[in-house]
Amino acid sequence: MNKLWIDERYCKGCLICVDVCPKKALKASPEINSKGYILPVEKDMKRCKSCGLCEVMCPDFAIAIEKAEG
Amino acid sequence: MKRHPMLKYLKEEGPLGPRMPLIFCPGCGSGQVLNYTLHAVDKLIEEDEVRRENFLFISGIGCSGRITSHYLNFDSAWTIHGRALAVATGALLANPAFKIVVFTGDGDTGSIGGNHFIHACRRNIDVTILCLNNGLYGMTGGQHAPTTPIGTITTTTPYRNREAAFDLCKLAEIAGASYVARWTTAHPQQVIKSIMKGLRKKGTAFIEILSQCPVHEKKTPVDLLKGFRRNTIRISKSKESTDGKTLIGEFCDLDRREWNESYQEIIDQFVMENDKIDE
Ligand SMILES: Cc1ncc(C[n+]2csc(CCOP(=O)(O)OP(=O)(O)O)c2C)c(N)n1
Ligand code: SF4
Ligand code: SF4
Ligand code: SF4
Ligand SMILES: [Mg+2]
Repeated sequence: MNKLWIDERYCKGCLICVDVCPKKALKASPEINSKGYILPVEKDMKRCKSCGLCEVMCPDFAIAIEKAEG
Repeated sequence: MKRHPMLKYLKEEGPLGPRMPLIFCPGCGSGQVLNYTLHAVDKLIEEDEVRRENFLFISGIGCSGRITSHYLNFDSAWTIHGRALAVATGALLANPAFKIVVFTGDGDTGSIGGNHFIHACRRNIDVTILCLNNGLYGMTGGQHAPTTPIGTITTTTPYRNREAAFDLCKLAEIAGASYVARWTTAHPQQVIKSIMKGLRKKGTAFIEILSQCPVHEKKTPVDLLKGFRRNTIRISKSKESTDGKTLIGEFCDLDRREWNESYQEIIDQFVMENDKIDE
């Protein structure tokens, strides 16, 4: 299964990634972080097709998708 | 930990400590345009073997201007309000081989830099202009700009804007730019392709990118991006009517003579004449 990586130093919780994911593999975290941001978290990474759209559209270079091996 | 693929082109650390996160507010279109630009640059480095040191990034002042302030791991110049194109013209004279990207705002291009803008297009200087149009002055507090649509409330038009807006693409086209296109931040692949096209093309490429300012527009970034998809229409699909929507797509893609090339002809002529005298 692919893995979601969020750089907590850079992510500002705009949630554009969650919205644009064509597979709805991500969701908003139920928690607010120490900066007051709601970060994206994995919802169902089995659906992720590594299309890269979340990485392309992130305004803050905070997201990366690690492809499952094989 | 896997990290964002475009971080390889950014300076995360400087002599005074970390340079990132970017200065922009959450969900600002400026960061997205930077991301799209780096994707285009990455492809040109790979496909055309353009050398990294041949790129030059120049901006004026505004939130959009901050893109070149201290993040890029390329040669870059953060210049004065409205004057990025004047600096780009000088850079091209010094080195016509530069691949120049100019980041500018709608205020930077349409008001204070209006003359630099139309004359750069008239001369068809070899630059790719990325104009981030958020329809207002973001950096100074959300004042209206010459691009603010009629009827819009901004901090300086509390009773709604009465003045007609400039169509920056029409201006660029009529002034003589080789390539003119308009997209939005909700059209990443189209923006990336246009930037690649612009950088490959000789002459001025003017690419207007409608870009969200969630802070002054007082809406979420996600809603603003949805609005861009809803309220725009491709040129090809608007033959009968635009349905009140903003046109997006490529307005022109011409082969016009570029400015430096025509000056090179004078230099070549003198060299030829000198050679004759030597004989
Ligand atoms: C010569 C000069 N005049 C005015 C200003 C103040 N100023 C800074 S940014 C700006 C407007 C920026 O608007 P825009 O180009 O649309 O950029 P945005 O912040 O919206 O991206 C103005 C008027 C300045 N910095 N320099
Ligand atoms: S798009 Fe980027 S900054 Fe926005 S929530 Fe997703 S990872 Fe964070
Ligand atoms: S790579 Fe594509 S499918 Fe996977 S999470 Fe990102 S946007 Fe969704
Ligand atoms: S004020 Fe607007 S344009 Fe400027 S950084 Fe914030 S969101 Fe972006
Ligand atoms: Mg602006």
